[in-house]
Amino acid sequence: MAHSTPLTYTLVITGAPYVSQAPQTALDFARAVIAAGHRIERVFLYGDGIHLASALASPPSDEINWRDAWCAFLQEQGVPGVACVASALRRGVVDSTEQARYELSGANLARPFDIAGLGEWVEGLRQSSRVIYFHPVN
Amino acid sequence: MHTLIVIDRPPYSDWQGRESLDMAFALAAFDQPVSLMFRDAGVNWLRPAHEAAAVGQKSVEKALSAAALFGVHAVYADQQSLERYGIDTQAAPTPVTPIEDTAGTIRAHDHVVCL
Repeated sequence: MAHSTPLTYTLVITGAPYVSQAPQTALDFARAVIAAGHRIERVFLYGDGIHLASALASPPSDEINWRDAWCAFLQEQGVPGVACVASALRRGVVDSTEQARYELSGANLARPFDIAGLGEWVEGLRQSSRVIYFHPVN
Repeated sequence: MHTLIVIDRPPYSDWQGRESLDMAFALAAFDQPVSLMFRDAGVNWLRPAHEAAAVGQKSVEKALSAAALFGVHAVYADQQSLERYGIDTQAAPTPVTPIEDTAGTIRAHDHVVCL
């Protein structure tokens, strides 16, 4: 089902996995976007959504690992995944750079996610045809 | 593209308000037009003299008072919510424009974010 005019999307995930359905719904949406012939420019994790990028989350083996599912999707599609640095530092998701900066005992950012500022989200607003948010249900 | 950031929950109960404010300031820092809207229990952000230390938190007043300085275009507050919570915007940490038509204000913006 190809769309006549391909659109570009930025997806913003603000709900954590295993707390909310936001990462799962976002992944289903992302797959549908690609299947319809559109392009995803970036996925931005904000607030509790940054827990999706924790390499240390270890759900039971009979449950879907949403981090692994998202990382595989990002790699397959060549889509940049960005975790907001302020949200990530507050919640304990860090890469080796932040680990060194704050003298922390370890790094746990799952690749291919990167850590960057809100400027990435602003770029999404400026460049993408659509910016779609996936919030937890309050 | 003018973005409206909506805060509908009180300060200090969770971090979504602070992170909403961060989004507004990030847009302003990149010279993107942005306004704030407080509605429902979110209007409690507009009370003066927060005693945030009493609940072990940093006051949000200072950050909010810098909204205009950072380049936030306008700070709106839903009139009905202000009345419900008995809030006088004259004493608010930042200049506030009370609005009757929140739906119209939302429609007037190109992009709306409510965490």
